[in-house]
Amino acid sequence: MIDQAANFEDVPVAEPDEIARLRRRDNAALACVVGRYQHRLYRYLRRLVREPAAADDLFQHTWLNVVRQMDHYDSRRSFDTWLFAIAHNAAMDLLRRRTGESLEESGQELTAAEPDALSAAMASERTAILAAEMAGLSAPYREVLTLRFEEGMKLEEIAEVTRAPLSTVKSRVQRALETLREKMTARYQKEDLL
Amino acid sequence: MTTHETIRQLLALSAAGLLDAADERRVREHVHECAECSAALEELAAVSANLGRLPAPMAPPDLLARTEARVAAEMADRAGLRHGAILAVGAGLFAWMAALATWGVYRLLTGSAGWLAWLMLTTVPAYMAAGAVAVMFASRRRLERSLL
Repeated sequence: MIDQAANFEDVPVAEPDEIARLRRRDNAALACVVGRYQHRLYRYLRRLVREPAAADDLFQHTWLNVVRQMDHYDSRRSFDTWLFAIAHNAAMDLLRRRTGESLEESGQELTAAEPDALSAAMASERTAILAAEMAGLSAPYREVLTLRFEEGMKLEEIAEVTRAPLSTVKSRVQRALETLREKMTARYQKEDLL
Repeated sequence: MTTHETIRQLLALSAAGLLDAADERRVREHVHECAECSAALEELAAVSANLGRLPAPMAPPDLLARTEARVAAEMADRAGLRHGAILAVGAGLFAWMAALATWGVYRLLTGSAGWLAWLMLTTVPAYMAAGAVAVMFASRRRLERSLL
């Protein structure tokens, strides 16, 4: 149903030349690649850990790990999924250490936080509420939704990033979307949802 | 499981654009005839479309610069460690080679003493020299860090 070509064709990705230079620890290449992925990676981490300070720290930690593990990167693989898998591991480590954060696919979702005044003013009420409802989902659900709808990843890519079987990814997408549909239809009439 | 129930479970994946062509066709055929699934798919599609339009959290303006600085410091650190390791190995090799050169003197002084004892006497200073260089290097790095 969603139009991948229209949504994701302009997504900035690293050029092969930049990856090769990054392998040689070229500082200029590093600046280029970090710049290209800055907003995508930060958005993914914010969706996953929610707190700006934690996302900020994980962002830096992810790039440190990229530099440390660059020799192990297989250039036949997608750099995007490799990068997001590193970010996923760092975020999961943090979420495991955090008290009160569920890594389980909970049927009973957390109560959604109310959207803050700024996001409500900047975005339409519907998307602000949807964002708040999404933030109320458990981490595995938030993760598959952002990887699919904001990163435009395919099932196989999401499975690679999250190191979960395809069947698990499918069921997470299905449950997350169904949960959001129930929450949104409970708030709005169908015509307001569309 | 009935066709309706089977298709019902595929609706979310259809809305997410994650079904293969065959399953997508099955969903299309079913929702054409089933009002309940048709309504559910429409709602799921609306949620999916809006998920792609969520306001994105913006990265702090200085995040890029801070990340570059942190990574550059890490790279310099690693380069320093490599440099230190090369120096330590070099010092050890040099000490060993220097000790090897004393073979003749050793024979002269000890007469028929065994080569094993001589090997020990040459290897120990080599390790000591490498260790001393490593310690000196680590001390210098600690001093450099404290001055930053």
